[in-house]
Amino acid sequence: MIRHLFTLIWNKKRTHALLLIEILASFLVLFGVTSLIIYNFRNYAEPVGFNYQNRWAISMDWGDMPDSVSYPLRQQLKQRVLAYPQVIAASISSGNYPFSNSTSNGRPRYNGVQFNVFNYFVDPDYAKTLEMAVLEGRWYDRADESTVVPQVVVTRDLIDKVFGKGQPGVGKLLINDEDKKDKKRIIGVVGNFKQDGEFSPTTSCIFYRASKTDWSNVLLVQVQPGTDAAFEGNMMRELGQMVKGWNLEVSYLADQRVSKQRFTLVPMIIFLVVSTFLLINVALGLFGVLNVSITRRRGEIGLRRALGATEGSISRQFVGEIWVLATFALVLGLILAAQFPLMNVFDLDASVYLTAMVVSVLVIYLIVTLCALYPSRQAATIQPATALHEE
Amino acid sequence: MISLNNIEKVYRTSSIETLALANINLHIKAGEFVSIMGPSGCGKSTLLNLMGLLDEPSRGTVEVGGQVVTQYRDKELARLRNQNIGFIFQSFHLINDLSVLDNVEIPLLYRKGDSTGPSRRKLAEEALERVGLSNRMKHFPNQLSGGQKQRVAIARAIVGRPSIILADEPTGNLDSAMGNEIMNILQGLNTDGATIVMVTHDETMAKKTHRLVRLFDGSMVGDSILMSNA
Ligand SMILES: Nc1ncnc2c1ncn2[C@@H]1O[C@H](COP(=O)(O)OP(=O)(O)O)[C@@H](O)[C@H]1O
Ligand SMILES: [Mg+2]
Repeated sequence: MIRHLFTLIWNKKRTHALLLIEILASFLVLFGVTSLIIYNFRNYAEPVGFNYQNRWAISMDWGDMPDSVSYPLRQQLKQRVLAYPQVIAASISSGNYPFSNSTSNGRPRYNGVQFNVFNYFVDPDYAKTLEMAVLEGRWYDRADESTVVPQVVVTRDLIDKVFGKGQPGVGKLLINDEDKKDKKRIIGVVGNFKQDGEFSPTTSCIFYRASKTDWSNVLLVQVQPGTDAAFEGNMMRELGQMVKGWNLEVSYLADQRVSKQRFTLVPMIIFLVVSTFLLINVALGLFGVLNVSITRRRGEIGLRRALGATEGSISRQFVGEIWVLATFALVLGLILAAQFPLMNVFDLDASVYLTAMVVSVLVIYLIVTLCALYPSRQAATIQPATALHEE
Repeated sequence: MISLNNIEKVYRTSSIETLALANINLHIKAGEFVSIMGPSGCGKSTLLNLMGLLDEPSRGTVEVGGQVVTQYRDKELARLRNQNIGFIFQSFHLINDLSVLDNVEIPLLYRKGDSTGPSRRKLAEEALERVGLSNRMKHFPNQLSGGQKQRVAIARAIVGRPSIILADEPTGNLDSAMGNEIMNILQGLNTDGATIVMVTHDETMAKKTHRLVRLFDGSMVGDSILMSNA
């Protein structure tokens, strides 16, 4: 019977070409949207690696004051902030703190592997201030300020890439393949550090010690829960008096996170809405085409009944036909979709695409089945004698 | 083989009621070749459809092979149609999107059991050979003449080896030469044991059968044995 249906659909391929293209197109759109959603939610399932609640970022702009002059002032600001009972911890960081709009990254080659690495220039209190878990080794402290080989902390992801999955990292040297003098000693490994929040992928990060002259221009502050705007205003006024002429601005990490998330969620919701409309459209079209074709094929239905088809086998035939058609479309669609992982178009994990393919195939089969169910029931209830009489 | 007892058939549509058959008692014996004649609209097709279990009588009972089938459910009726009855229609009713061979195979697809693709194919080829169309198996219906189409329809009717063949004006759309060809095939099938009931408008065709039933306005008005053929 299945071969019979294939033959039937194959011989009618010209009539069905449009329908096939429609199913193919909706598969591809669905595949795109589900890939995006699966990618984002896989990322979402991974911890961000830090705590952003009750964390404030005070950005410091010292104008044309030399860095060497501003550095001790920055330290003083930090000490002053720590003196407030409402403040639990504070740390000086480069501008690319969590949910900020700035990034610092490069594509170095370590151990023959070239990949994207994010760089952070932070002080010894950073991990504590952001409640980052150090999995291996330790975070740097004041004692190892001036080592010959710089000491760094890296994310687990970086170790996995350079030394192999699950390999220990502490004590190892990171040597830049392109510049052998560029060496760093790994003294600690942290878990994730997803700067842009839940929806961003796991990244390889290196945390360098903030030096006097770099662009460490942000003071991250952890405050007691419930600390209010009144305290904030008071604190900022007092800090402002300490560094006249500087521009200090405070922002809440939790707020910045919300606006960052919109960048991911809004396009995803738009795609989802558009593709839902598309699918509804395709479903209605399919439903209409099936209804019409069943009316046109009453003679065939009557004939098949005369030759021994039961009501059940008639409705199964119509559902089966649409499955065959969907299968043709899906085979084409899968061939096209497979190009994404094969040609590594978006640098996503192949399993994201594979899951998206499976989900899209199932959704398409579900939709075509639902569309075929009612018309095929109708087809089955046609009286054979009546159907034959009409021809 | 087939008995129609006190049959009445009324078609009810939203506005009108048509009494298509009234008070029909007809018994077809195994191996008979019966022709049914009568003016257009007198109920011939309705009668054939009732014998072929394609429709239910409004009153009375239908027996096939000694069993009253009036109360049978869809599945049992489908099985009976599939195994015992072969249909031939005036307008052939071939599926244009299927090759001749695929058309002929259809009844076998609705047969429960272990019929395999190759075995179905073999039976279909045999049936086509029987009607002299071995050389047209890969053709599509619209590439055939009317007579060839009807031969395909006959092959389809006999592929499942039914004991009864019901033919509704099988030569109605054909010229007399093609009509005679079809008639010869039917006679051959009857000689080999098939019970045949054929509706026809053509006296010369009817005269070649064993028995002639005449219908008029839904009633049987004649039932004669044609001694010369029986
Ligand atoms: N499915 C149907 N619905 C309503 N009326 C029908 C139907 N089939 C046949 N009839 C009517 O029943 C009568 C007998 O029809 P039919 O058996 O087809 O006649 P014949 O085959 O002798 O030309 C006609 O009046 C016809 O219009
Ligand atoms: Mg008729």
